[in-house]
Parts: sequence; C-alpha cells; structure tokens
Amino acid sequence: MHQWGRREDQRLTMGKGRFVADIEVPGCLDAVFVRSKTGHGTLRSVDCAPARAVPGVVGAWAAADLMDMPACAHSASVLQDLPPVPHSVLARLSSDEAVAGREWPALVKERVRYAGEAVAVVVGEDRYLAEDGAAEVTFEVEPLPAMVRPSDAARDSFPLFDGLSNVALTGEAGQPIDDSVWRDAAAVVEGRYRQSLLLPTPMECRAILVAPDADRLTVWAGHQAPHRLRRELAASLGWPEDRVRVVVPDTGGAFGSKSATFPEYVVVAYLAVKLRRPVRWIEDRLESMMVATRGRGQDQRVRLAADADGRLLAYELTIEADVGAYPHLGVGLPMQTAWMATGPYATPKVHATVRSVLTNTMVTYPYRGAGRPEAAIALERSMDTMARRLSMDPAELRRRNLIPPESFPYETPTGRRYDSGNYAGALELALRTVDYDGWRAEQARRGKDPGAMPLGIGLSCYVERSGGEPGGLFEFGGLEAGEDGSITARCGAASSGQGHETVFPALVARTLGVAQWRVRLIEGDTGEQPEGLGSFASRTAQVVGALLWHACQLLIDEARRRAARMWGVPVERVEWSDGTVRDAHDRSAVLDLSHLVKATGPLKVDDRFETGMAFPFGTHVAVAEVDPELGTVHLLRLVAVDDCGVVLDPEIVHGQAFGSCVQGIGQALYEGIPYGDDGVPLLGNGLLDYLLPTFSEVPPIEVRHTRTPSPGSPLGAKGAGESGCIGTPAAVVNAVIDALQVADPDLLQMPLTPDVVWRAARAPKRGEPR
Amino acid sequence: MKITLTVNGEEFPLDVEPRRVLADVLREDCRLTGTHLGCEHGVCGACGVLVDGEAVRSCLILAVQCDGSSVRTVEGLAGPDGEPSALQRAFSAEHALQCGFCTPGFLMVATGALEADPTLGDDPDRIEDLVRSNLCRCTGYEPIRRAITRAAQEARQLAP
Ligand code: FES
Ligand code: FES
Repeated sequence: MHQWGRREDQRLTMGKGRFVADIEVPGCLDAVFVRSKTGHGTLRSVDCAPARAVPGVVGAWAAADLMDMPACAHSASVLQDLPPVPHSVLARLSSDEAVAGREWPALVKERVRYAGEAVAVVVGEDRYLAEDGAAEVTFEVEPLPAMVRPSDAARDSFPLFDGLSNVALTGEAGQPIDDSVWRDAAAVVEGRYRQSLLLPTPMECRAILVAPDADRLTVWAGHQAPHRLRRELAASLGWPEDRVRVVVPDTGGAFGSKSATFPEYVVVAYLAVKLRRPVRWIEDRLESMMVATRGRGQDQRVRLAADADGRLLAYELTIEADVGAYPHLGVGLPMQTAWMATGPYATPKVHATVRSVLTNTMVTYPYRGAGRPEAAIALERSMDTMARRLSMDPAELRRRNLIPPESFPYETPTGRRYDSGNYAGALELALRTVDYDGWRAEQARRGKDPGAMPLGIGLSCYVERSGGEPGGLFEFGGLEAGEDGSITARCGAASSGQGHETVFPALVARTLGVAQWRVRLIEGDTGEQPEGLGSFASRTAQVVGALLWHACQLLIDEARRRAARMWGVPVERVEWSDGTVRDAHDRSAVLDLSHLVKATGPLKVDDRFETGMAFPFGTHVAVAEVDPELGTVHLLRLVAVDDCGVVLDPEIVHGQAFGSCVQGIGQALYEGIPYGDDGVPLLGNGLLDYLLPTFSEVPPIEVRHTRTPSPGSPLGAKGAGESGCIGTPAAVVNAVIDALQVADPDLLQMPLTPDVVWRAARAPKRGEPR
Repeated sequence: MKITLTVNGEEFPLDVEPRRVLADVLREDCRLTGTHLGCEHGVCGACGVLVDGEAVRSCLILAVQCDGSSVRTVEGLAGPDGEPSALQRAFSAEHALQCGFCTPGFLMVATGALEADPTLGDDPDRIEDLVRSNLCRCTGYEPIRRAITRAAQEARQLAP
C-alpha cells in the first residue's frame, strides 16, 4: 500500500473526494435563484408564473408566494412565512440591537438592498431546467439612491431601513488621548488607509443539500460550523435541534466565508420541507462573486506620535467599516481591529474607534485574518511613515518599541491580554533570513544608478489573536476505545483543507503512545458529535487539539481505574504506557487497551474543554522592485517568520503559512471588488475581473518559525493559518513605498495595481516640493 | 442526441441534450464526480480532463462535441491495480493539496503534458507554465510545482 502524506490525500488525489455537489440523493431537485441586478431599490412586482410553465420546473416562488402558501399537513405547517436569515450574535461580535428592525429576509420582500439579492427561487428537476425557469421570471425594481461608500451612507441622507440610521454600531477600545500628547510629541504622523472589500474565493463555492426523511432533515453543506448551522436552521424551521443533522463532507476551502446560515440555505431547507423532496443549491462562481460574503472593507484614519528617540507615545485609529446591507457578524467584526490596534508595541496610549455602517453591498463577514489584517496594516504602514519622519531605519524603530519578552502577560491599552511572545526574536530572525543589510546595500547601489529599477524593503511586525473570544474558546469531543484496538476521536470541528484527519489522530496516537493507524477522527457531523463550535478564528489546533489531549488524559485515567479495580490494587499503582495499563508492582499484570475494553466493557470519554485566548505573532519582510514606467511591482523575496507556539504538524502549518502569504500578496497587489456608483460590483467577466494570484505572482517565499508556547493551553499551541493574510500585506505595501519614496504614502492604497503605482511614481518624492 | 464517450477506457452510450457541457455529463450522467467545477467560465481549470490526450476545460466544451472521443478524468489516473500514479503520489508527498478541490484539474493538465513529452522534467519553465494555467486558493502553488517536477523527474529516469 502506498504511504500517503495525509490521510485525506488518498481520496482527494484519486478523484474520490465527496463534496456536496458530488452527493447523489435520488430525486434531488436543484434550486436556482433569480437575483436583482439593481443594488438598491423597491421591489414592485415579481411574476413567477411563466417559470412554472417551463417543463421540468417543480416550482417557483417569490417571498410573497411563500407567505401565501397554504399550510400543508406536515410538521412544517407551523411556518406561516419564510423565516429571516439568522444573524449569529456571537461572542460580542454582533448585537441584537444592531439587528432589530433590520432583519435580512431570505428572499426580498419590499426592498432590494444589495446587487444580487434574491427576489425569487426556482426549483427544477435539474440545474439546466431550473435555470430555464429562472430565465422566465420577471420582476420590477424601482431604483433608489445606492449607498456605496460608508462615508456617504453614514450621513443618513438615505437610510437603508426606513426610520433607522445606517450606522449599525459604534464602539471603541482604549481611552481617548489628550490633545496635549499630540501637541507635545516630537513627531506625529498621520495616514488614511482603505482596506478594500475582498472575495474570500474558496475554489468550491457554497453548496447545500437538504434531504427530508419523515420528520427529520439531513443537511450536507461545505461548512465550518455544522452545529451552528444545525441550530440556526432548526430555529428557522421552528424545529427542535435533534430533528436536524448537519454533515460536512469534503469542503473545498472556506477561509472564513462558510460559517454562516445564508439566505439561500434557509430557502433550500424551507423548500425541502415544504416539497418533501431533497433540494440542493450549488452556487456558481458568477453568483458567488455577486453575493458571497465579502471580507475587510474599512476606511481608516490614524495618528501616531513618538518622541525624538523613536519611542512611541500614542496611537489613534479611527475605523469606518463597510458592513454591507444587513447587520450580521460583520457589524461587530471591526471591533476586532480596534481591540488589536495596539499591535506588538509597548505604546502607552492607544485609542481606537469604530463606526460600522450599512451600505448597499453584500454583507461583510470574516475572511482569513478577519479584523487583524486591518489592524496590522494600519499600524505597520504608520510605523514606516514614522521611521521616515524620524530618519530612522524602520527595523530600528520597531526594535525600540516591541513589547519585551519579560513583559508577558501584557495588558494592552485596547483591552487585550497577550499571553506570551518574543517579538524581537521573530524580527531578528526575519531580518537575518532575508539578509536585510544586504538588501539595504543593494537599494543604496541602485539609488546611485539612474538606470536601475528602484527597490524597496518592507517590514511588518504583527500580533494576532487566535482561538476566539471569551465565551467561544471551548470545544466538545471525546475518545472511544474499541475491542478491536481502534480508537475513535470525535470533535465539533470541521475541516476545509487543514488536514484534521491526519493531524488529530497523530496527536491522539502520540499522546496515548499507540500506533497512528489505530486512531481515526470523526468530525463535521452533528449526528456523531452532539455538540460543537466548529473551525474558525484559527481555533482548531489550539482548542480542539487541547480538547483531544485532555480526552486522552481522561481515557488514561479511566483505563487505570478499571485496571485497578480488576486487579484489586490501588489506582496509584497502575501505570499507563504505550497504550497499555500495567501494575507497577507486578510485572506480569499488563493489559493492552483493547483487552481492557474486552474485559470491562465499552470505554468512552467525552468532555468540553476550554483554553485561553492566544496571541500568535511574527515578522514578515518583503523585497520589491518597482517599474515606474509600467507601474508593476515585482516581488523579489518574501520572508515570513511566524510564531504559533507549539506546532502540531510542521508540514501542515508550513502549507497554511505559505498559502496565506499568497492570499496576503493578493490583498496587497491584486484583489479588490470595484463597485459602481449604483452599488453593482464591476465583475462582469468573472474571475478575469477579480485577480486571484496565480503561480506567476508567487515570489520566492521563505517561511520560518520561532516557538513561544502559549501558557493558556496544555499543548502550548496557538492558532496558525491566518498569518500571511495578517503579516504580508503591509510588508508588501511598505516595500513599494520604500522603493518609490513618495512624499505622500497615502497615494498607495491597496490593491497596488499598475495604475495606482504608475500614478504614485509620478507624484512628488520625499524632500521634493509638493 | 445520442453520443458515445469512452471515459477512462469504458464506453458510455449516452443520450444528452446538445447544450450540456462535458463536465456536467461526466459528473451527472457518468457519475464521475472527480472532475470539479470551480468557475464554469474557463478560468480556474478545476474541470480539466484529457480529450483524446489533449487537456481541455470540460466546462467550456459540449459533451456532443466529444462524441466518439476518448476522455480521461482523474478517476482514470490510477494503475490497473488501483495504485496511484507517480503524479498522484508526488502531489501527496509534496503537500500539493489542502482542500483538494483544484487537484483533479492540476493532475490532468500535468498528466497530459507528461504523457505527451516524458522529457518535461528537463524543462522547469514548461512545468511552471503548467502550474500557471490553473487556480488554487489554498497552497500558494509552489508545492504543486514541486510535485509536478518530482513526477516529471521520475518519468525522465524511467524514459529510455
Ligand atoms: S470550472 Fe472549468 S475552468 Fe473553472
Ligand atoms: S488545494 Fe484548495 S484550491 Fe487548491
């Protein structure tokens, strides 16, 4: 038998993966949504009748049709109306007040609030037939002024919800900074940064299949949080949770974008119940580009003050967040940026304010990094501006301000308690790895050679938060030992490419001292594991890893107790080693776990386990060459030094770090959703208009790790996988600014497309009259 | 319309609507779901298959255009004993997949190139061009380049 790198690889390389769209359920119908092309408008009429006449179409409904649908003699008959989209009030990230009066209907009722919002659904015997039907649906939307930028929407000249402000939430972290601090500081720099709206773009779009069976539903969805989906779908249907089972099969990437209960999911579940037939929705890419959740979306203003020696005195961050058309998790997400505004520096005064504004764009939601890239990018760009102001080397400015290793745990002015860190260690390793002095010498050489392309070096020191917020730092799961020697681990997580089936059995095997092949993992199935939180916020290695470690301890304790009882000896005398129990005083008393189970009955342990919040950190360095004539950026080198505490599987963590660096490069140089003034995304040519990095855009990247264990978890693991999205963008942007030496760095707003760079290359340089 | 596709050596007599794209016919009519759809407009390459040995984006070609052709999909890469191909092994060894959604497309485009020219391993530029042709959102591509290089070099050693 071939030895696979990861257990998942066998099926995924052999074409035997099972993604939602691959699942064959007899009689399954396809749902297709009819979507508004207008970004903001009043829905005057929808006519689904012509669609119903199309052969192969089983039904077509607008919200009004569903409201009028006669109750059938079925358990769903209690549903008088299509339920709204659940809004996930989670761990301080969103609030009921923000949602009150601004509910997200699963199908548009009176007003369209974002381009692509669904006005009707057509269900057919197959996708082609359902699309034939959808093409026949007619509807009328009377346009209203579109609120596209948060600054415009915040003026409330046109509310998205009558009688309610477009500002859905205001918040702050830290204390306001006295004017005298700014007045008296030796140096104060300011900046304005745009964090564009991004498309997470997992290669598999969203997908759900709902199959009813008597009074139960089985739901297959590519999803990060199956228990949340179960809870929210059950609540939408007015059902008890135990009648819904959510199964997450292979999932083709998520990056934060697959953890909600989307409007389409509510509709599909509702129709499966109404029709008593399996219904699926397989999103296509053009649809996804129009209506999948967006990431980032902040307009930021900053002020940073330092003394003449470059010691930071104060930092102020003002965030105006574009949270899209309906308040959801994204409303509170910018608070993450505010809480993380302090970054890795010992700045005594930090104040961040947030205003989350509703706009006529699709909803903003976590995308890999989720609030932390926005914090790191704003601060790290400002650090470079400060270094230039003080004529100080940017590495030296950082060195003087990084929180020293002996200061942990460190309470930040913005309310975070950093668990552990050696920030300077990561910085120095990054500088050595990239050969910082060598590149500075090359930069100086090019500066004297008028024919040479300008070159820049960009640094970015970051600290992020992993595991989740208080109230969400736990997970459920357990272990079961079989008579056949097998050990089954269960947990509430769900993989979307992170290799859980490989990493966690290896961890359990290591902890118990048994062969890896004996251990298997079951996850992503609410029928197998009754409670769970899921995989988001870089929590799985940290929290689920700790939970499974803890379950191993419970299993060992139980095995020792049973052996002690069997042998009639005190439990202290029974030792555990390499999957066996043995009597310390009697060498002949040795029993393998499987024999113990045979002798004493099924052995199953289950628990809930909680870790502390953890704070991974690192330094990324980019070296960029800029062609001022073409406006192109050529990355020569990227070094990413990350510290995610104790690493469970070095190759998997390396792969996560590398892949996320490439996404970080995407944000810095290529990605951003352009919106027209009418609120319609300008993505008519699909993925040709939204530039995901291809192999051509990948520079030589070197990923290295330092290792500072987290004291908040028994394994010492911190979250991994988001580092590139957090650390890389500012390094790239700083490198470009360093190459061009523009007087006004605010000219370089991401993505740094050739157009942006070309214009900046023509703007006044530092030291030139503006 | 009645057509015959030979898929991975097996004959499929099919009755398909002329508008159906090859990917849908492979996935739904032949129940070979290893071929994935990542964009359905020809950009991502997840749907890559070989039609008469040529790499084709199966979302951009109609099944009826392939009448009488021989189609190879990811399900047809393993050896007769079910053992993975050198390329499949290399993908796993080099961690060239995370979620695995893009993997069939990369495997097929690289298989086509390797089979057309077993000396591919001598030419890093051509391998890089292959990696450039498809999208992957997880890996950052470098592991995919290494995997194809590894398999190509293995093939080179076996070639006369
Ligand atoms: S699905 Fe065919 S190229 Fe993307
Ligand atoms: S492995 Fe996920 S898209 Fe390539």
